Amino acid sequence: MTQSTVILVLVIVTALGFDFTNGFHDTANAMATSIATGALRPKMAVALSGFLNLVGAFLSVEVALTVTNAVVKLQTSNGTPKESLTADGGVALLLIILAGLVGGIVWNLLTWLLGLPSSSSHALFGGLIGATVAGLGWAGVNWNGNGTKLDGVVGKVILPAIMSPVVAGIVAAVGTWLIYRAVIGVAQKYTDNGFRWGQIGSASLVSLAHGTNDAQKTMGVITLALIASGHWTDTKNIPFWVKVCCALAIALGTYLGGWRIIRTPGKGLVEISPPQGMAAESASAAVILASSHLGFALSTTHVATGSILGSGVGRPGAQVRWRVAGRMVSAWLITLPAAGIVGAIMWYIGDALGGVAGAIVIFVLLLAAAGYMYLRSRQAPVGHHNVNDEWDESTAPVERVPAGTGN
Amino acid sequence: MGNNLQFSFEAIWKVLLAGLILGAGLPLLFALGVRSLAWGAGGEAEVHADGTTGPKPQPIGTVLGWLLFAVVLAGIALGITFIVASGFGKQLSFEHIFPTIVDKH
Repeated sequence: MTQSTVILVLVIVTALGFDFTNGFHDTANAMATSIATGALRPKMAVALSGFLNLVGAFLSVEVALTVTNAVVKLQTSNGTPKESLTADGGVALLLIILAGLVGGIVWNLLTWLLGLPSSSSHALFGGLIGATVAGLGWAGVNWNGNGTKLDGVVGKVILPAIMSPVVAGIVAAVGTWLIYRAVIGVAQKYTDNGFRWGQIGSASLVSLAHGTNDAQKTMGVITLALIASGHWTDTKNIPFWVKVCCALAIALGTYLGGWRIIRTPGKGLVEISPPQGMAAESASAAVILASSHLGFALSTTHVATGSILGSGVGRPGAQVRWRVAGRMVSAWLITLPAAGIVGAIMWYIGDALGGVAGAIVIFVLLLAAAGYMYLRSRQAPVGHHNVNDEWDESTAPVERVPAGTGN
Repeated sequence: MGNNLQFSFEAIWKVLLAGLILGAGLPLLFALGVRSLAWGAGGEAEVHADGTTGPKPQPIGTVLGWLLFAVVLAGIALGITFIVASGFGKQLSFEHIFPTIVDKH
């Protein structure tokens, strides 16, 4: 095996690892509300979501090869890697991708450990941006696009991140308010059963859309690595085995269920009732689908969280824990730079050691970080058995009511 | 930055509009469907004073309820068609009011 083949294998394994973390990090987006309201049993919910992610990933046959072009300048506009990066069997490009993926995974695992639903796409883009800045300098990043369409870090990442949760929140708030108005006078037992089905349907749609949107990012990254190392030349298609592997990785990740994260939006943010759950998931599904139709890139996590918050605002008398929301928003703000810093550090380490040795060392560092965070998570495990336990104010820094004022 | 900001606002208004129609409108129809079914079922399905038997069943409510559910299902079918179509390089066109599947330009 040549140098670049060894690194390529590491890149593929790491990319699939990222896809896997992407899966369990985002189970909450579709299923947190259904699990919290008891519309679906926790195990059933993650199985359904995993299956729909698998189906969704196969439906995304659209070429996603240029996915990195939104934020970094590694590729030409038709998807082939820049020639300056493919000399030496593509080692330069592979190292940037590997370091970027490691940055994304490490941040995804850390936020999972803390139970924070941060954006997986921001983690991936952040890692890639950091590794690119380290490898190619600031000019290697596509900050603003060329002004003819929505593009660049600002247009594809930052502006959508600010706008999409607000829009989703408005839609969910309006939906929740309308639903509660519409069913005044109907017995609660009766409405809960009806909205149970509404929730399952809308959450399924979110899962399907998630599979099509997120799996293809990893497919694009792996195919880019294959082209860079000379193992694939077709820029119009993605190798079938890449599609299968990515679909399975994201589905398995989803099925594993990021219980630590599911708990936060499901129980911590708002105490969700079935009508709110349906309103939130419908808003998420509509906003995600409408945005991808208009080429407005967004993160499912931001939309789902905005929707759940909106469903709390739209229900008269509902309690929204703004402290929890604040913690989430701060996690969103630092996701991009934090993943970027990890990506950059990994690139410097990999580059200093050079070639295969450098790639292996950063891969081992990733394994060590992942292992450490897994062990830490076992100290206070969250699983399908306790995901719906009452939100405990002492373990989670949620809004505290001053003594004596009551609640 | 300026251009991106402008493009974002152009896109986000459409997202908000589509979101309100599909993401809040369809759930409203669904809720009205639940409401109609309860009206159709009468009795325990509707809030009524303790000790009384509750309102009389209204069969028309059941019909209306299922009609509303059918509209919601059609909306969801449209959503799934959209996902599948865009995956295969097609897109939904509303040029003729009713949706048709066309090649992406």
